[in-house]
Amino acid sequence: MRVSLNWLNEFVNIDLEPSELAHKLMMLGLDVESVDYLGAEISNVVVGKILSIEPHPAADKLVVCQTDIGEGDPLQIVCGAKNMSVGDKVPTAKVGATLPGGITIGRRKMRGIESCGMMCSGKELGVSDDQEGLLILSPDAPIGADICVVLGLDDYVFDIEITPNRGDWAGMIGVARDLAAAFGSELHIPSAEVEENDQCVENYSSVVIEDTLGCPRYIGRVLLDVEIKPSPEWMQQRLRAAGQRPINNIVDITNYIMLETGQPLHAFDYDKLIENRIVVRRARPAESLRTIDGIVRPLSPEMLVIADAQNPVALAGIMGGADTEVTEATKRVFLESAFFDPITIRRTAKALSLMTEAAQRFQRGADPEMTKFAINRAARLMKELAGATVTTGLLDVYPNPKPTKEITLRFARTNLLLGTNIPSGEQTRYLKGLGFVPTQTGENSAVFCVPSWRHDCQQEADLIEEIARLYGYDLLETPLPVVRRSDQVFAPEEKRTKGLRHRLLESGLTEMMNMTFISPKDITQACLPDTYLDMVKLANPLSENYSGMRTSLLPGIIRAAAHSARRGIEDICVFEIGPVYRPQPDADLPKESLHLAILLSGSLGGKHWSSPLRNVDFYDIKGYVELVFEYFGDVPVCETADFGPLDPREAARVALGDIPVGWMGRLNRKVTATYDLEKPVYVAELNLEPLLGREWQTPTFEPIPAFPAALRDLAVVVDQSVPAAAILETVKLSRGTSLVDVRVFDVYVGNQIPPGKKSVALALKFQSMERTLTEDEVQESCDTILRKLKQEFGAELR
Amino acid sequence: MRQKLEELRTNALKEIDEVSDLSQLEALRVRILGRKGSLTEILRGLGQIPLEERRVLGQMANELKGVLQEAMDSKKKALEASGKASAKEMALDVTLPGRRPPKGHPHPVMQVAEEIVEIFAELGFQVASGPDVELEYYNFDSLNTPKDHPARDLHDTFFVKPGVVLRTQTSPVQMRVMEKTPPPVAIVAPGRVYRVDADATHSPMFYQIEGLLVDKGVSFADLKGTLIYFLRRFFGKGTKVRFRPHYFPFTEPSAEVDVLWKTDKGEKWLEILGCGMVHPEVFKYAKYDYEKYTGYAFGMGVDRIAMARYSINSIHYLYENDLRFLEQF
Repeated sequence: MRVSLNWLNEFVNIDLEPSELAHKLMMLGLDVESVDYLGAEISNVVVGKILSIEPHPAADKLVVCQTDIGEGDPLQIVCGAKNMSVGDKVPTAKVGATLPGGITIGRRKMRGIESCGMMCSGKELGVSDDQEGLLILSPDAPIGADICVVLGLDDYVFDIEITPNRGDWAGMIGVARDLAAAFGSELHIPSAEVEENDQCVENYSSVVIEDTLGCPRYIGRVLLDVEIKPSPEWMQQRLRAAGQRPINNIVDITNYIMLETGQPLHAFDYDKLIENRIVVRRARPAESLRTIDGIVRPLSPEMLVIADAQNPVALAGIMGGADTEVTEATKRVFLESAFFDPITIRRTAKALSLMTEAAQRFQRGADPEMTKFAINRAARLMKELAGATVTTGLLDVYPNPKPTKEITLRFARTNLLLGTNIPSGEQTRYLKGLGFVPTQTGENSAVFCVPSWRHDCQQEADLIEEIARLYGYDLLETPLPVVRRSDQVFAPEEKRTKGLRHRLLESGLTEMMNMTFISPKDITQACLPDTYLDMVKLANPLSENYSGMRTSLLPGIIRAAAHSARRGIEDICVFEIGPVYRPQPDADLPKESLHLAILLSGSLGGKHWSSPLRNVDFYDIKGYVELVFEYFGDVPVCETADFGPLDPREAARVALGDIPVGWMGRLNRKVTATYDLEKPVYVAELNLEPLLGREWQTPTFEPIPAFPAALRDLAVVVDQSVPAAAILETVKLSRGTSLVDVRVFDVYVGNQIPPGKKSVALALKFQSMERTLTEDEVQESCDTILRKLKQEFGAELR
Repeated sequence: MRQKLEELRTNALKEIDEVSDLSQLEALRVRILGRKGSLTEILRGLGQIPLEERRVLGQMANELKGVLQEAMDSKKKALEASGKASAKEMALDVTLPGRRPPKGHPHPVMQVAEEIVEIFAELGFQVASGPDVELEYYNFDSLNTPKDHPARDLHDTFFVKPGVVLRTQTSPVQMRVMEKTPPPVAIVAPGRVYRVDADATHSPMFYQIEGLLVDKGVSFADLKGTLIYFLRRFFGKGTKVRFRPHYFPFTEPSAEVDVLWKTDKGEKWLEILGCGMVHPEVFKYAKYDYEKYTGYAFGMGVDRIAMARYSINSIHYLYENDLRFLEQF
């Protein structure tokens, strides 16, 4: 809401600089988003009086005016407008003046005639949308006066974001009330006394509420002999300052009162209401309404409408109908001030995407008592500004008046909850300032009646917040935190995930965090199997690209890598740890599992002068997978297997024992081509859940052997199809040897061995805890191993 | 010939003396004693000289060779011993870049989240978590935000199906923890959250950290004290903090916390946290006794904090994952 300082000053005396006031409002919970000086961009524009208008000798569309600005000779100004006459007073920009939008006025020649300034339209001054002609000022505007003062632009406007709980802040009086309470000063409420004629309103109209749930209270008034015209400049100024467009006096008054009180009003053309009466009801099937914005809106039966004897004439609390709106021809007005059910209004406004100023106020919860004040005040202004005759009495239908809410406040509870020491008298004083009325006051507690505009206050804690606000959050103490004893700060899984993350960072991988949204297209582009298409879909996605929740980290990490590759980044070594989401047939919520993805492309560490550049290959990605398993105290079981995104020659399934954990390998050409990746790309995706769930192994110390180890190298020739892992396994399982370690240190395929064969060189380490092994013993162990390898794989010593 | 030898002796000895580093010395050796060296040439030329003279000259030449050899050796030793020339000559180019162990870069959001969690962990807060795809009940209803509540407008929500949403805040973790744990509790819960919002300052996915502490005698002042302690730990000792009233459906009283942030364009208040005392209605859902226990809760946007700390001007950098961006951290 835009709050004008001048306007606010009517209700509470403000002795603060605008910036101080902004701070005060902030500290009361009114979030000031900006403070604008309305005339900030305008300088050297004054009231001028047109003394003469002569045709321009060289241009049909221009005229030459002499304009008196109260200093020196009249200014000669060339002007293109048509709406002015001699004697009119208009905003006149002197040479050197500035106007909104950074415009500066200079002396210049227009078609040969010198022009020493400019006469302005409302649009040029930023006060209206009217650019057709000059802004004609009131005849009593003093010549030479600063236009900012004359137009009410000498004002500050606070743009305030109102929290959804505070309906009362949607009116100036509500904001002023909190300020008055904070200043300890008085709130000036304007008069709502209205002089009525001798005719009963009941003779003119009636109100029936068919749905008291949707409309607990409805007040109507009938005003006669209204004269429709523009509202006075001061009212237009205030409406403009609040961001509203002036229309005519009647409509402007309803808006003005809404801004002042927070209570939306609506004015109908009385004579256009069938039977001149009002029925508040739900819409009937197949009914529709053309609202004042000209749109025909089909209505549904849950929508509340204001109807005359036959048809809906307004969307209750949201927008009036076009057929009954006040026009220049209107003579009699039916004025409405009602309290509507917030939820009903909210649903309708949402359903129609029509969150008007009125709807915003009603959905927050208006003040059922304010209805009466607002309608009387509006009637008063209509009499004053539209010459209306006000008929006597109100048509006030309020079958079940809302009882006053009472809340007991324990003074000690306030201090316990706030950590303060505020005496009971002070607590009571704060609440009274806000309109809470104490009924039973005791030493330890008091019962307070909640004012009708504070429906947000439901219980003791709400009163305590009010006390805290007025006491001042900045005065609360700031004790140092107490360190709490805790048996376990990080759950084991948390700790290990964090540890793994650091391990990967230390090993040279850069961390990514991709959007968890995905689309089915991402799955197919990454050639992931169709099972990955079974995803959590969003009912209202931002776009097709973000239509579901990811089932794999690969599309995200590949896309991000491609993004960098396209920008000339050569070495991409990255990982992401994050959840994937899989729908579960019998549960409302999907299963969220923590996954790890690693992507390698280019080289590890980049070019270095000391050695030739080596691009990553399969065994780099495998090395990282091994590192991950090693972190969890295990080794991966890897076997060749087909997986959609991977090149079948360089692809492996990864398992923890016999539990499948994921995949690793080289992205196939189809995928790299889709993503425009030129270099080979290696990826791995692992489900971390089985690894995190694995029991954490604490290493057990093994005595360091006192006797030296014997090292032997053994190269065996086997079929190329024999996996290295099988050879190692056989070696390890060979009984009767004192083998303590075995590694593959070379693999050879080539001319020196028969085709279809490969040579695998093993480094063996033998050791005994009891003694130094003899040459014979070591040889015997080697023989045993060789024999085993011969049995299993037909291996020959090379 | 004799004269030649004499000249050679004088010049060579002088030159040896003047040599200042080993490479010069080596060049000199090649020039005199090498295969095509001047002394070698002389010796080779002895064959054309009459026998008588040849013997004498031969002797002289050999002696000279010995002398020069010795002079060069001792010069070499001297040069090596002085070390000066050898260091200059033999030293590595220490300005060449070293072979560094590989280094990865943490994602700024994860980095900041970890640091924040660490500070609260030191205070004894336990780390908790909850699902991203969440029941509407936990995200809204049980947090005193029933359907049709205007506060729901503050969070434009992604729906999966009726009753299931992408969590719009990490606050549902509060209720999940309270349901399972009797008081006292003290938790922090980092995680991804989602809102239907995408513009220069909003990303539909972002990252929050939630905090909850429930115990006997916990006050609003304790909340303020703890958060100010945290903010000064994280942003630096003199950090100016502003605590101002606000509204959240699940806390009462509620506050928003701003930090005075210095940029090259001057100072401005940066909204960092929302917080408050846990609302009695929330305690009802959690079946906690509001008379016996009180508690506070807070939530902060990690993205915003990371952006302020590293002067990142658009939230989109955070989730685009351009390596030119990531490698700066």
